[in-house]
Amino acid sequence: MAIEFKKSLAVFTEFVSVEEAETLLEWLLKNPKGKINLADCTHIHASSLQVLMAFKPTIVHEPQDADLAIWLKAALAS
Amino acid sequence: MNSLLEQFLSEARDFLQGIGEKLMQLESDPTSNELMVELFRFVHTLKGNSGLFDFPEMTRVLHASEDLMDAVRNGRVNYSQKLADQLLDAMDFVGMLMDEIEATEKISNKHAAPAAELTKALRNLLTASEAGSESSEIDDILNEITQTQVAENSIDWESLPTLNLPEDIAEQLHAHSLRGDSVFWVEYTPEADSFFKGEDPFYLIRQVPDTEWRNVVLNSTVENLAEMDVFNSVASYQVLTHAPAEELEDLFRYIPDEHRRIEIPALAFVKPSGNTDEHAVDEDFIANVFALFDKDETEEVTRTINTMLELSAPDLWSSSALRWVLRLIEREPENKAAQRALLESLRTLQSPDWSELKPVEVIATIAPPVRNAVVSTSNGSNGVVDEKMQYFNEVINAQREILNLSGFNEGRLKSVGASLIGCYKSIGRSQDVDSLELAIKNSLVENSQDLLLKWLDHSLENAPELVVAEKIAAPVNNLAMQNDVKFGRRAEDAAGRKADEPNAVTASKTLKVDQEKIDRLMNLIGEMVVAKNALPYLAARAETVFGVRDLSREIKAQYAVINRVAEEMQDTIMQVRMLPVSFIFQRFPRMVRDISRKLGKEVDLVLEGESTEADKNIIEALSDPLIHIVRNSLDHGLEQPDVRIAAGKNGTGKLLIRASQESDRVLIEIIDDGKGINPEVIKHKAYEKGLIDEATMERISDQDAVNLVFAAGFSTADVISDLSGRGVGMDVVRSAVEKVNGTVGIESEVGKGTRLYLSLPLSMAVTNVMIIQSNKQIFGVPMDMVVETVRVPRVHIQSIKQKQTTVLRGRIVPLLPLNDLLASNMPQLPNENDEFATLIVRVHGEHVGILVDDFRETVDIILKPMTGILGGLGGYSGAALLGDGSVLMVLNPRELM
Repeated sequence: MAIEFKKSLAVFTEFVSVEEAETLLEWLLKNPKGKINLADCTHIHASSLQVLMAFKPTIVHEPQDADLAIWLKAALAS
Repeated sequence: MNSLLEQFLSEARDFLQGIGEKLMQLESDPTSNELMVELFRFVHTLKGNSGLFDFPEMTRVLHASEDLMDAVRNGRVNYSQKLADQLLDAMDFVGMLMDEIEATEKISNKHAAPAAELTKALRNLLTASEAGSESSEIDDILNEITQTQVAENSIDWESLPTLNLPEDIAEQLHAHSLRGDSVFWVEYTPEADSFFKGEDPFYLIRQVPDTEWRNVVLNSTVENLAEMDVFNSVASYQVLTHAPAEELEDLFRYIPDEHRRIEIPALAFVKPSGNTDEHAVDEDFIANVFALFDKDETEEVTRTINTMLELSAPDLWSSSALRWVLRLIEREPENKAAQRALLESLRTLQSPDWSELKPVEVIATIAPPVRNAVVSTSNGSNGVVDEKMQYFNEVINAQREILNLSGFNEGRLKSVGASLIGCYKSIGRSQDVDSLELAIKNSLVENSQDLLLKWLDHSLENAPELVVAEKIAAPVNNLAMQNDVKFGRRAEDAAGRKADEPNAVTASKTLKVDQEKIDRLMNLIGEMVVAKNALPYLAARAETVFGVRDLSREIKAQYAVINRVAEEMQDTIMQVRMLPVSFIFQRFPRMVRDISRKLGKEVDLVLEGESTEADKNIIEALSDPLIHIVRNSLDHGLEQPDVRIAAGKNGTGKLLIRASQESDRVLIEIIDDGKGINPEVIKHKAYEKGLIDEATMERISDQDAVNLVFAAGFSTADVISDLSGRGVGMDVVRSAVEKVNGTVGIESEVGKGTRLYLSLPLSMAVTNVMIIQSNKQIFGVPMDMVVETVRVPRVHIQSIKQKQTTVLRGRIVPLLPLNDLLASNMPQLPNENDEFATLIVRVHGEHVGILVDDFRETVDIILKPMTGILGGLGGYSGAALLGDGSVLMVLNPRELM
């Protein structure tokens, strides 16, 4: 799994695929205040990205991947 | 280019031609259902074939054509002239794509847009006709297409997205745009089900190079988070990039409908932003700057603005606007109108409406290069001067259009004036400039552009050469025409390219040649080989008869050259005749499927070595025997699924057909994992049918028994079915294979399966024979039958039951004197060491020695079968002409024994 779900923190690593979207949605529904750590994430499939955009959870660590970081900033700002 | 693609291209051209012809025939007989169905079939097949390759543009257009034809065929859409035109256009487009594939093996991404347009037009034709209001909707389509063209070619300010960019990004993009890099706005809205197609829109959009700004928005707000469908794509992705248009085309070529690309003009980025609550600049300052600006004291303007910027907070709207003024002064010093508009905006704190400036901007910076393409093709042969005049006329015409716009606008008039002055100066008509300036001034005074318009008309009337040129240029402004031109241009481009580069062969590279011509060529090269073979004789005669050794050597040298060329020619002609075995293999999947269904068996067919090639005659001769063998395997070899499972085998039987090349022969194996052949059953059947007697039945080996299936009149099936069991079976296979000098064999293991193999020569045109001598005559023996040549000492020959035999490498080999076989009653002559020359040949898998008097060389000959009365002599397979003019009889050892 490219997402490791902790109590109130989801840690995204490397390539988050389409399979993860549903789990992410369920986790965010269960933990509305759940935070996201994206430090080691390189790409998020559009499906998971949409979930993040809908929930706008707190991002505790921005991705180190500069391009992804800019994209997420734009996506979560709107 | 791989052979599949080659075949596709060659077939596709036939189809295109067929489609064209059918459309033509339909014109004269538009009600013919038959023609319609045939036309549909062509389009359908072509589309299907194109789908094998990665040519999305081609497949898309063909798919739309197919749908349209389907609707026509079913009477949902009426056949019309318009429809035929559209289809022909589509086919021309496909033809052009094929030229490109032939030249480069791929389709350039620049065709994506025309393909999308054609598809749209075809689809619209479908929906329009189905809705019943054909003409008006088609007009809509045309309009739509025209509009897309406009969007591509010039600026449609209203269609531009609203940009709210941070100043630093806007500033960079502005710089890029002015440098000549087109800045594109790309909006990508994937289809809702795109995730199910395995797409990742976010990944795709991240691949856009040189992105300066990006954004993602959800198209609909998610009302209830718990009910959100994560597998539904609901986002839109937007980027601003200065990547080349081709790269973007390429990236989005598979989803032309889901993305929108708009080129953003430089001025669109000039949009001050910031805090508008405070007024840092007062009217005095603005007036002051304007005064300096009107006097063209640029340095003063810059200095004043800089001072103001130092005094005011940087996040103010006015500061942002001032910074933009400075940038414009620096980057577009000529564009006074823009600078003025921006300064003007300081009064209102509203971004200037750049569409007001549109005319100048469009004509001065963007229109000429785009129109240039169209003009230069329609009038391409003219020189540089003419081209310049073309531009001149375009600009002038555009200016006149602007002047014709209703309403007076000072800025507009001024910019038109500036453009006109520039134009007249550029073509060296400075004498007109003074009067032009006067006209502008007067127009400004009178607040009306009529004066300037009159001057312009007057000027053009007095310069006939301008008017003439103008007429040529006039259609260019007509956008509908432009649309047509584009199609024509493509054709012209292709033609032009052909003429320019002799290497770029876009014509079909495949020739269809009558087989007779190839056969004739084959015969000729055969005769050439024989004639060539005469040279060594000649050389020998020169030396022995005339004693000219030098001449002999020269003839031999010449012979070597001719020999090499002749061999190469022969090789090439053979290759022309070569066909891959896939030619006959391709029908098997269908056949196996049908037969196995009929028999209720499950069969997994595996084909291997389909690219193995052999002479056309051989391949064709193979076709019937192979079908027969495969049927036999299915019918007798493979068992019913329940029987198989009971025997511990997989319920699905396996049938392997494999072709491979072994030196100069093609080996074809048909292997099944069925029940195999039981030799006992064969023996009894053969005995019942009287093929063997009781004694033979007792002593025959299992392998020999299995080989009995090749005996004439043999059949094991108890019930005659439509598949097999008529007794015309394997013997027919065997004789068909032997007719082309092939051999057939069978191996079988009860319960495990059967392996049938055919070995065939690659070609049957030229036969390699060994010449032997016996009873003072020479004979040929086909080399493919000769295993080896040995000299057997008389003492090693033993007699068993009055038959001579010898032991060769631990094997008993029967020896047959050739003279006896030919009934010439002469003893074979041994050599001085009392050894007999023995030719070991393979007959039906057995080695047999033929005693002859002596061995001679091997030669390539064209074997001519004997005709007439001699045709009945089974012992000879034919005759050939030798280089010295003598006739060589070629033996057929198989029949001889």
